[in-house]
Amino acid sequence: MEFKLEAHRIVSISLGKIYNSRGQRGGIKLHKNLLVSLVLRSARQVYLSDPCPGLYLAGSPAPPQPGEPAAGGGGPAGCQALGASPLKKPRRHLEEQPAGAAAEEEEEMETGNVANLISIFGSSFSGLLRKSPGGGREEAEGEESGPEAAEPGQICCDKAVLRDMNPWSTAIVAF
Amino acid sequence: MPSHRMPSEADIISTVEFNHTGELLATGDKGGRVVIFQREPESKNAPHSQGEYDVYSTFQSHEPEFDYLKSLEIEEKINKIKWLPQQNAAHSLLSTNDKTIKLWKITERDKRPEGYNLKDEEGKLKDLSTVTSLQVPVLKPMDLMVEVSPRRVFANGHTYHINSISVNSDCETYMSADDLRINLWHLAITDRSFNIVDIKPANMEDLTEVITASEFHPHHCNLFVYSSSKGSLRLCDMRAAALCDKHSKLFEEPEDPSNRSFFSEIISSVSDVKFSHSGRYMLTRDYLTVKVWDLNMEARPVETYQVHDYLRSKLCSLYENDCIFDKFECAWNGSDSVIMTGAYNNFFRMFDRNTKRDVTLEASRESSKPRAVLKPRRVCVGGKRRRDDISVDSLDFTKKILHTAWHPAENIIAIAATNNLYIFQDKVNSEMH
Repeated sequence: MEFKLEAHRIVSISLGKIYNSRGQRGGIKLHKNLLVSLVLRSARQVYLSDPCPGLYLAGSPAPPQPGEPAAGGGGPAGCQALGASPLKKPRRHLEEQPAGAAAEEEEEMETGNVANLISIFGSSFSGLLRKSPGGGREEAEGEESGPEAAEPGQICCDKAVLRDMNPWSTAIVAF
Repeated sequence: MPSHRMPSEADIISTVEFNHTGELLATGDKGGRVVIFQREPESKNAPHSQGEYDVYSTFQSHEPEFDYLKSLEIEEKINKIKWLPQQNAAHSLLSTNDKTIKLWKITERDKRPEGYNLKDEEGKLKDLSTVTSLQVPVLKPMDLMVEVSPRRVFANGHTYHINSISVNSDCETYMSADDLRINLWHLAITDRSFNIVDIKPANMEDLTEVITASEFHPHHCNLFVYSSSKGSLRLCDMRAAALCDKHSKLFEEPEDPSNRSFFSEIISSVSDVKFSHSGRYMLTRDYLTVKVWDLNMEARPVETYQVHDYLRSKLCSLYENDCIFDKFECAWNGSDSVIMTGAYNNFFRMFDRNTKRDVTLEASRESSKPRAVLKPRRVCVGGKRRRDDISVDSLDFTKKILHTAWHPAENIIAIAATNNLYIFQDKVNSEMH
């Protein structure tokens, strides 16, 4: 549980950094944001793998055993993909800005604070549940739509389960 | 030289560099200014009193710019200065911000023509009917005037932020590196450059590492090294291919699994790489250590020195306050026997490679009265605490020494502590070891 709290805290700090980096003078610093996204990925993996009630994923009858590897053992293959897929969206958005030649133009969202980011995750996540393969990438909501949406078959979370989770868990799973 | 104005962010020194003889020392700051110091010749009257550095020239190198296409402001902060080897009476240096490199020529004027036949002292043409004799102007000495002019502007070569520049030993070319690409320029040609390294993935989502620093080999004009955010070094040979994406040698040390944390990747990112003067070794700095690499051994560094290992348990706080992203530089002394790097609390560290002794010194006004001897400092990490020790928790993380430079031949060091420059000279033992 301790690891989960620590991971949770690191995720929130990291999201804040990514968000704040947009307003920085001189443009987004690619190196720093890459490092932050790596931390975010590590923290997310720990968060997802730490056995804790409330994070049951569809098809998993019991919480994963503590001794199991961090890739989210015990869940269906889809969950493993979720844990293993690299953190794509925030990084992609950030890099397109300095490159200036974004092939996929993604609309920027004006968000007031991190809480808004969470609601964005939440609403993007519902896009996942609509099971439209191209829906995630082309969504006008832009930056935070889950990369998994583009890959059909990766959806692994039951809508009913999601309703029980607090917004933060939803956000992190959406990642 | 401490600034007499109120300290502002523009005064923060962002780079320090001695020229090849050590006679000149250049600093760049966040406000885009370059200040050059010159060492006064030693006084014959007091042979033991070595020359001190005085301001020689100050000029505005870069101004803030706005990229209208991307709606981005381009900072005027000087990221790096590199001197060109001196080829005539003038001095030249390259200075760069995030996007544009400039070549500056520094010349001295200490004579002035006087005695014009047709002009009066104010320069106005005389009434020709009053001119009865012929006079050739003569050069008379005047107060030294240092003139700086921009000779070349190397623009539009970089999409990402430039982190390094390095002049080739051929004295004709130089390279500039940004996060994903390295370009080769000819010093006389500004409208084009050659791309020699490109690590941008086809799909930016696949990005896993960026270039953090690069440098030409001091003697072999075909070799250069670049470091990455993953902690690896790549030695490249420009003779092998036009695009040096395949390295000749890859230097990386396997990670110690017992040290794994959320922040392992950040602290292994190399913030600076420097070839030794001999060209045999490379020095790298990552967040907690400096490492010496032998060009002949790719598997691991030959020496590793702990700069401030007591920070290892504080990485989460340092991540929170952004200090973990600080990019410290490192330096060799002239004989490659001692290495130096900065730390927090205005401390800087020196490691003697032969004796394996290390010392922590502080750059502060109290310790910097002229002729004062620097007192070694110590950070106590629990256990016995001596009188002048500083505890880890009372370190001031806003006082960071990121930029340091060592005179190419003598024991003179330049330390940039935020907006102050400290120059320390070893008067007792000024010869190289």
